[in-house]
Amino acid sequence: MDMSQYKNLFLSESREYLRSISEQVVALEQIPAEKGAIDSLFRGAHSLKGMAASMEYGDVVVVAHSMEDLMVRVREGGLQFEAGVADLLLEGVDLIDALLNDVEADRAAGRPLGDYAERLAGYTPAPPREKEARAPVPPAPEQGAAEPEKGKEPAGEASGTVRVRTELLDHLINLTGELVTNKHRLLNIGRELDSPALNDAVSETGKLLRALHDEVMKVRLMPFEAICDRFQRSVRTLAKKSGKDLHFELEGREIGLDRGTLEQLVDPLNHILRNAVDHGMEGSAERVAAGKPAKGVVRLAVSRDRDRILVTVRDDGRGMERSSASSAAIRKGVITPEEAELLSPRQALMLACIPGFSTAREVTDVSGRGVGMDAVNAAIQKLGGSLGIESEPGQGSTFTLRLPMTIAIIHALIVQCGAVKGAVPVTAVHRTVELSRHQVETVGKRQMFQLDGETIPLLSLNRVLGMPLGRFPSGILPLFVTEAKGRRVGIVVDRLLGQHELFVKPFGRPLSRMAGLAGGATLGDGEIVTILDLADLL
Amino acid sequence: MATTVMIVDDSLFMRKMLRDILEEEGYQIAGEASDGAEAVARFKECRPNLTTLDIVMPNKTGIEALREIMAFDPAARVVMCSAIGQESLTRAAAEAGAKAFILKPFNPELVTRVLKEVAEG
Repeated sequence: MDMSQYKNLFLSESREYLRSISEQVVALEQIPAEKGAIDSLFRGAHSLKGMAASMEYGDVVVVAHSMEDLMVRVREGGLQFEAGVADLLLEGVDLIDALLNDVEADRAAGRPLGDYAERLAGYTPAPPREKEARAPVPPAPEQGAAEPEKGKEPAGEASGTVRVRTELLDHLINLTGELVTNKHRLLNIGRELDSPALNDAVSETGKLLRALHDEVMKVRLMPFEAICDRFQRSVRTLAKKSGKDLHFELEGREIGLDRGTLEQLVDPLNHILRNAVDHGMEGSAERVAAGKPAKGVVRLAVSRDRDRILVTVRDDGRGMERSSASSAAIRKGVITPEEAELLSPRQALMLACIPGFSTAREVTDVSGRGVGMDAVNAAIQKLGGSLGIESEPGQGSTFTLRLPMTIAIIHALIVQCGAVKGAVPVTAVHRTVELSRHQVETVGKRQMFQLDGETIPLLSLNRVLGMPLGRFPSGILPLFVTEAKGRRVGIVVDRLLGQHELFVKPFGRPLSRMAGLAGGATLGDGEIVTILDLADLL
Repeated sequence: MATTVMIVDDSLFMRKMLRDILEEEGYQIAGEASDGAEAVARFKECRPNLTTLDIVMPNKTGIEALREIMAFDPAARVVMCSAIGQESLTRAAAEAGAKAFILKPFNPELVTRVLKEVAEG
């Protein structure tokens, strides 16, 4: 029997089992005696073993079999599910994951498994002394999504579903996007011909296209659950490493996000979580001294707010001092003391997103030197989203990511700069302003203007793009207000051309390698606009 | 008329493999189920000539499903699928009325021979 035809199915199903096993391990650490999770873990290892045996992947069989045997001891032999067991199982998950990657890349078998099987077979729990040290963790059921969901099995396919290759979905999105572009072309023709009948038909087509687009995007949605286990793993590992006692809660794992968005979210979210555990969370002694429960809570929640997705990471740790954020920024020369005076509380916290900035009390090997919040902010903006930080000293911090449902079709503000037509996602635009020249104030070398009682610096997009500067014979400067490095800036352009629905396509090389360009789109009249990545440009 | 078979296994991979082996031999797949409870329900709907039943499954094990299927239709011809090392379970299955056993990983010739014997009674 030719088994190569089953390789892809084997890989995808095995990875689903691995994901489920990691989740169950973390859940069992919270509620060690949950029989459903113990059974499910055992079945996961058992199924992996059976599939790998059919494919004759001996190494996977050895690891899965060892895990299965360990779970039999938990299930029937009275071995307590504790941290030692969890560590061994997660090590097995990592080993199998690496083996699957070898299989996928057609690399020859032979990855060293070390003494993994022997260690599992000979495993005895740690002496009770250490167990007592862990005792403060109450085994009582706790609320939170870390509880295993009953009846949830990775392999069960509901009847009436099919598996579709992701390339096919991408192709569908592409076609839908092209249709949207074409609709704008038809709209232009309708206007020229001044034909009400044609305009009606195009407008109706537009509605249908919107519905088609929504449906196609729904197909691309994957539940947030698909990436949850990674966060559970990293929070767990980190809490252990930094000696923090905390409970990790997950909410909204069923909420669907676009595949592309989901993949791009893993790193930023991991970073925020790492900061929360490493810097945000106090040690138990410090918490108790502050009158808080010894065990901290870190909560990752996903929810939908009309056409946007909200992802929040909240901790009940020490919070951030606004004054220490701004004084650190002054010390590093990021802002002047005068500028610090003008910052709103929110802006002071957003200083954390400036490259190289950190308010971490100490440098640890886990979160590095605070580098990264700038990368997080840039990654979120690239997804067409925004990042908000709220913090109350002593009470904890909340990071809120607001993300669009889809990233392929966006609403953008089109601007003209010299010969270039650029587009900025409307999610990044706070507002547009037409400024009289006399409203511009010059402070030192910088030009500023007043908006809602706030002094906002001006920047020329022409200058940033290397275009000749605009002249503005009418004395009116068109600009839009956006956020850069945690504070608002006014970006002056030659002309504001209005809002447009765009189907974004990534650039090919060499354009894709240029900083500040997020992709391109075609307008209804065939003209090409460049989607600007402001976070990158400014 | 082709013999109808229902395939029960919680792994899609295993179901697909078994389906390919059986279809190659001219069997008609009457249905599939991915857990014990679904197996019982699907059995009542499609009344297959033969059923292959995995033992380790969620929402009722294969043994529990087998007992319910045999109670519903004492003449049911059910073949259990098990892995090496599950001898205690195979005895329980035999007592509950399983007609035969096939071992995982599946050997196509063995699978078809066992199913043929069971089908011919």
